[in-house]
Order: sequence, then C-alpha cells, then structure tokens
Amino acid sequence: MLEAKDLMVFYENMLALNNISIKCDDNQIVGVFGANSAGKSTLMYALSGIMLDIQKKEDMAGGERITLTGDVLLQNRSIMDMKPSLRAKAGIILCPERRRLFKESSVLENLRIGGYLATRAEAKQTMEYVMEVFPALIKLKKRLGGFLSGGEQQMVAIGRALMAQPKILLLDEPLLGLSPFMQSTLIRGIKVIQEERNISVIISEQYARPVFPIVDYAYILENGAAVMEGTREELMDNPDVKAAYFGVS
Amino acid sequence: MEILVYGTINSVSLALMGLGFAMVYGISRVPNFAHGALYIICGFVTWTLFQIVGLSYFVAIILSLCVNGILGMSMYRFVLIRVRGMSISEIIASYAIGLVILEGLRFGGFRGMTYTLPVFMEGSLMIGGVPVDYHRVVMTIIGVALVAGLWVFTHYTRIGLALQGMAQDERAAMMLGIDSDFMAMVAMGFGAVLAGVAAILILPLGNIVVESGYHVLIMSIAVCIVGGLGSWMGAFFAAFIIGYAQILTVVYIGSHFQMVVAILAIILTLILKPSGLFGQQKELEERV
Repeated sequence: MLEAKDLMVFYENMLALNNISIKCDDNQIVGVFGANSAGKSTLMYALSGIMLDIQKKEDMAGGERITLTGDVLLQNRSIMDMKPSLRAKAGIILCPERRRLFKESSVLENLRIGGYLATRAEAKQTMEYVMEVFPALIKLKKRLGGFLSGGEQQMVAIGRALMAQPKILLLDEPLLGLSPFMQSTLIRGIKVIQEERNISVIISEQYARPVFPIVDYAYILENGAAVMEGTREELMDNPDVKAAYFGVS
Repeated sequence: MEILVYGTINSVSLALMGLGFAMVYGISRVPNFAHGALYIICGFVTWTLFQIVGLSYFVAIILSLCVNGILGMSMYRFVLIRVRGMSISEIIASYAIGLVILEGLRFGGFRGMTYTLPVFMEGSLMIGGVPVDYHRVVMTIIGVALVAGLWVFTHYTRIGLALQGMAQDERAAMMLGIDSDFMAMVAMGFGAVLAGVAAILILPLGNIVVESGYHVLIMSIAVCIVGGLGSWMGAFFAAFIIGYAQILTVVYIGSHFQMVVAILAIILTLILKPSGLFGQQKELEERV
C-alpha cells in the first residue's frame, strides 16, 4: 500500500536517511525501531510529506538545505511531490512525535479539528468509536489538551488522527515517556483499531519490546539506514536483535 | 455615567479595529500591517459605490466588503505567501502594500473633508441621562454580536475549528489534512472583511480621511499587544482597557493626550508582561 523506495534525506551534507526502502501492505502493522537519531522521525516526515514543508520553510528562511531523493509510493503511484494536506486526504495521517495536541482546545475540540477531512456522518461515527476504544476520554471531554497526562494526550492524538479517516496511520513514538501500564493499554488499543477499522499502521519506537507482539513486519534503523528487516518471528530469533532491542543477551 | 457610556462605545470601536488584525496574526502569524489601509479602502469603495455609482447603501456595503475580502485574500496569495515565516519581511511587505493603498488613494485625489458615509439611523436616545445617537448604539450592538459570532464560528464550524488548529500548531494541523496556505488565505480574507466591517460602522461618525488608516493600524496593534498577540479574546478585553483609559484621559487630562494612552499601553505591556494579558500560549510553554 505505502512504499518508500531508495529514500534518502540530507540535512545539508548530513545524511539522515540512507537508501531506505520500506513497505507496508494493506491491513498490516509495520514496526520501525531504532535509537535516537536513527532517522525514525525523518522517515515519518518524509512519508507524510511534512518534510516538504520543513524543506520549504528552511529554504525561505535561508536555513538548512534539505534534499530528498528516492520515491514514496501510495498504491503504486508516486506521491513524492504531493503536499502534506493532499497526502492526508489520500489517507496518510501522521500522529507526530510528542503528540502535538492543540493545547488550548478541549479534548472534544481536538477531535473535531481532526475531523476536518471527514464528512459529518463519518466524524460523528468516529467520535463515538474513539470514545469506545479509549473510554478514559469520556470524562475528559471538556479538559484542555495542555492539561492532560502523557497517556491521555496520546489517546487524544491517536483519536484525532482517526478522525481524519486514515487508510494508513503513521505513529511516531506513541509510547514515549509513558508508564508500562499505559503502554500496554495503548498497544492493545492500536491493535484493536487496526483490526476494526481495516487500516494499516506504521509505528516507530525506540524500544521494541512493548510494540513487538502486534507487528507483522519490522525494520531496524541504525544511523539512517535499515540494517535489518523481517517478520516478527524472523527478528525474534535473531540474537543481535535480541541483545540490542529486547535487553536479553 | 458619561464615562461609562462613551467608554463602552469607544472600547467596542477599538475592538472592531483590532479584531481583524488579531485574527490574521493569531492564525497565520502574519502581522498584517496593511490593516489600516484595508479599513480605509473599504470606506472609499463604499463611498464610491454609494455616491458615484448610485447603488443603495446596503448593496454598496455588501459589495465593498466582498471587494475587501478578495483584496485581503489576493494580498496573501500573491505577495505574502512568498515571505511567509520571515516576520521582518512580512512586516515590510504588508506595510508596503498598506502604503501603496493609502498613498495611492491620496494621490488619486481622495483627500480633504468631503467624504462621508451616512449613518444607519438618524436621531439619538438617552442612556442614563447621556445623549447617545442611534448609530453608536447600533455600532456597539453589532460589535458585541460580531465578537460572539466569531467565538461561535471558531468553536463550532469546520473551517473555524481548522483555523483554531492552525493557530495553535500549524504543522500538526497540516498532518490532519488542513492546507495551511489555504487557511492563511481564508484568515487574511476574514481579517480584511473585519477591517471593512469596522470601517463601515465607525466611519459614518466622521470623515473618511487617508490619515486615519495609520491611526487605525496603531490602535489595532496596541490592542493586540496589550491583549496578547494571537489571542482575539485578549484583544477584545484589551480594547476595553484602552478604550476606558482613553475616555478617562479625555475627561480628566485633555483630548489631545488620547493617542498617548495607546502608545503608553504598548510600552507598559512590553515592559511588565511582554506576552500580553492573555498570551496564554507562551505562558503554558514556559511552565512546561
């Protein structure tokens, strides 16, 4: 469904993504694992088109020169030059790192803003769905986004992304800074959403263990390059992966 | 009583001036220094349509508001879009457009004291022993209704919510499919229409003179800085503070000090609380 081919991203002369080719099929959960600065967020930005906006802004302000080469394909059509808003319309919704909620709007408003691309009926239906998957949000409806805990914020962020009617949901470090309990709640939620809404999910995370049970296929990034890939079982059996990403030696 | 009545009226007219500026800045982070020019040009377009072309007053108003909206949108679409994100360039570019409009009008012969718009309703009534003409009453009511309407618009409509999202985190909004350039253009159009509404409500109280374009710009900047840049509710409250302060100055010190109040308010705010009265966004960031 969504595919990146030989994707390279340079910040000036620094190579942030090195020849990355990844693929996410229909109804699949794909994991992207790697340490800080491995290029996870850059990959997410390149897939969702936000990179084009960053590039444009840097260019106008005379800042860093950002170069992208390679190709991003959605259903075998190149979307490399597509604006982020159009990519979102095509169904690629990014739920960004650090969540970036609208802090001065209530939870309900955050979700409504997310429903910009949805029809009235879709928005209503999805809103009910989000409350069903994350019942914790029901009593927080009126609370401002800035006054939520990290886990609650992440639920709203995922809900907000769902409101945009994604076909493929990109989650950038959704578990960052959350308690183990909250992590497992969210991971279960993500799995339920993927199955019930028939969407694909690409999820990036530093630490593989909590996410691993739900991924179908995973890539491991190191310094901007995909050093390893495979199905869950293949990676599970790999001793290097075990040592580096599960803390088992 | 006089202070109370005229203070309120003055405050509402300041709020009207500042709303468009606050809205454009809040959403697109473009300080629209052509705001005063948009205000004046709306006055002159209405005057031309009404007096020269001979349309009915109501039709002339609607038409000139449309013209203003299109003007604002094309200002963004053709000029400001190129310097978006560089605040100094934005100021220079929008101020240049403002200068072209204002001085162009002056050059084109729109000067002197002969341009006036009719008031909506003749006559006056007494409020608590103070005579107030109907037009000022109408202006106050429309002004307050406009603020309420704007609040409803930004909290309950699709476009309004999208504008709010963009105002808070442009890139996060982009990820949800909100086209930031389109929204900034819409905001600019809205800002221009609001400037036009202010013009049509305020200008009938005096003459249309090019110079007041600069005056309106300074007042709207004052209101926005005191209220906290980017917060249009803040701008509304700040308008009341400055509005009453001005009337008090007129009554107790002298009318020629009126302008000093606005400038002083800017300076004091910048010294004491640079984020303004309602600059919550920044404060929240500092706390986190």
